[in-house]
Amino acid sequence: MPFERQELSLPSGKLSYFVAGAGAPLLYLHPAGGFSVSQPLEALSTRYKVFAPVTPGFDGTAPHESVRSMEQLADLAARFADKVIGERCDVIGQSFGGWEALWLAVKHPEKLDHLVLEAPAGVPAGGKGGLPSDPAEARRKLFAHPDRALPMTKPIEQLQGNRRMLDHYRAASLSDGALPARVAAIKSPTLILMGTKDEIIPPETGRFLKAQIAGSHLAYVYDAAHVIQSDQPERFLRLVSSFLERGDAYIVNWGASAASAIPGGLG
Amino acid sequence: MKFNFFHLMPWTDYPREPTEWPVSNKDFEPERGRQLYADYIDCMAYAEQCGFDSIGCNEHHFSPYGLMSNPNLIGAALVHRTKRVNLAMLGNLVPLLNPVRVAEEYAMLDVMSGGRVIAGMMRGIPHEYIAYNVPPSDSRERLREAVALILKAWTEPEPFGWEGQFYQFPAVSIWPRPYQKPHPRLLMSGTNEESVEFVAQHKAKLGIVLIADLAVARANIDLYYKVARSYGWEPVPEDILIGHHTCIADTDEEAREHMRKGLDYFHHILMRPQRSAQELVIKKTRYYQREESSEKFQARLATLRARSLEEQIEAGSVYCGSPETVVAQIRRVHKALGHGTEQFTMKVGNMPDKVVRRGMELFRDRVQPALKDL
Repeated sequence: MPFERQELSLPSGKLSYFVAGAGAPLLYLHPAGGFSVSQPLEALSTRYKVFAPVTPGFDGTAPHESVRSMEQLADLAARFADKVIGERCDVIGQSFGGWEALWLAVKHPEKLDHLVLEAPAGVPAGGKGGLPSDPAEARRKLFAHPDRALPMTKPIEQLQGNRRMLDHYRAASLSDGALPARVAAIKSPTLILMGTKDEIIPPETGRFLKAQIAGSHLAYVYDAAHVIQSDQPERFLRLVSSFLERGDAYIVNWGASAASAIPGGLG
Repeated sequence: MKFNFFHLMPWTDYPREPTEWPVSNKDFEPERGRQLYADYIDCMAYAEQCGFDSIGCNEHHFSPYGLMSNPNLIGAALVHRTKRVNLAMLGNLVPLLNPVRVAEEYAMLDVMSGGRVIAGMMRGIPHEYIAYNVPPSDSRERLREAVALILKAWTEPEPFGWEGQFYQFPAVSIWPRPYQKPHPRLLMSGTNEESVEFVAQHKAKLGIVLIADLAVARANIDLYYKVARSYGWEPVPEDILIGHHTCIADTDEEAREHMRKGLDYFHHILMRPQRSAQELVIKKTRYYQREESSEKFQARLATLRARSLEEQIEAGSVYCGSPETVVAQIRRVHKALGHGTEQFTMKVGNMPDKVVRRGMELFRDRVQPALKDL
């Protein structure tokens, strides 16, 4: 299903967003690289109506001067959910977007149904990890299988602009002073996905969240680095679709019937 | 009557009520674990000196409920610590495992022990299927095919291939073959009609534990006899194993105090995290193919949990008291069920080992001698 770009006017400024598909609403919060349509996201849009707001300042959009922290960004996502989605929705937050999703779940629990965190930033990593400033080094750490990565279609200036926005949101260090103490309040059914080869967000982050969020599930995706959706699209889709479909019961193997729960197809 | 000394190998120091399954292992302390294994294996071997006829091992995963994720390892440890007793392997959870490996390991134990293995072919309690990511809906068919394959592996004189629904092996010829001819006796669990029929069809011993209602257990035993006869064989009382949490102490009061504490830990710490996982499996899959079996399983566990110790004794679910009291309790249950093998779980929850050992000695000196006529 093609993603259509739309725009919403909020008191703090204009907010671009992409939407595709039909079905139960699914809010996707993009990583620091900005929004792009991965294979799993496209597949999910065959079963869900996927909403993907573009974080103000990313991908050539204008920043909102009053939104300058990850916590405020989550408040903005909640307003977006109110205005555009209008009901509880599942949320997938990827890396930087996972950080935002964590704040959303902490501050606006009534907006969320299931929460999926893909290599989320913003919580303790035991002093490990981090995003290298050198683009080549960063790319090496983002992907275990760069050949599977989406073609780079965004202009270099836009990518550099995205990177600068981390400072705007006080997110450049990938850590958040206030968030870790708050995540234990999360009650949404939560799935934490970590790549076994992720050097940007290390396993300590997943362990911390698993220990803090009661009843959450932690899953390692084998042979994936930081961008799990790209390195292992089928594994990502299998886990996420099963979790969104069944919640806590996703840990039970449903046998042959499980195959029908995986939406779409990966081309 | 034969007596089986069964051990769950529980972790006895879990610091809080666990809320989720699998249970996080961050509270596992290796040195404490080493000590527990040493003490438990000593205690199990001591059962031979206390007159028990067999020692029971079993398989559980991912929780402090039991430290025996592979019962064959404990069986191997017991082989050379004992001379006479049978090794009642009340795991393996066959549908979760590679059946050829099960056939091989049981055969190893049987040969190493000189033919003392009773080979449990268990389906397992529902949530164990999550641990090894096996579809619970397939559990019964997997058990059926795996048992057929294991029997073949034990008895075929020439290498053979197996092309089944769940298992495919192009060439099987296990070394060693079992010591017993044609193979070790099978034992299976039968706590509902579905499973009792399966047990009888396979000429296996019937095991029933966690009895909530003697009349229900009696009905299962009657069905076992009936189905066995329809398959042309007649079980003997010894083929029927009935399991009980058991505490024998010098006085009734002492026994009840120990049992209360042990059951409290058993139900609130050891069993607690499994309930939600079991519900997921039971409600979301076809683990029980007949609806009433599922309802009975959950109702039975809830009933046992809710009952006072006195009610559990009255219902025949546990044995607890002085030797003379326990003798009377066993006679009453035996009169109702007519079984020929009693299984005692004497390490109930976190009951101290010295209490367990005292109970074993009282069994040897004052319980078993008083039941010679059964």
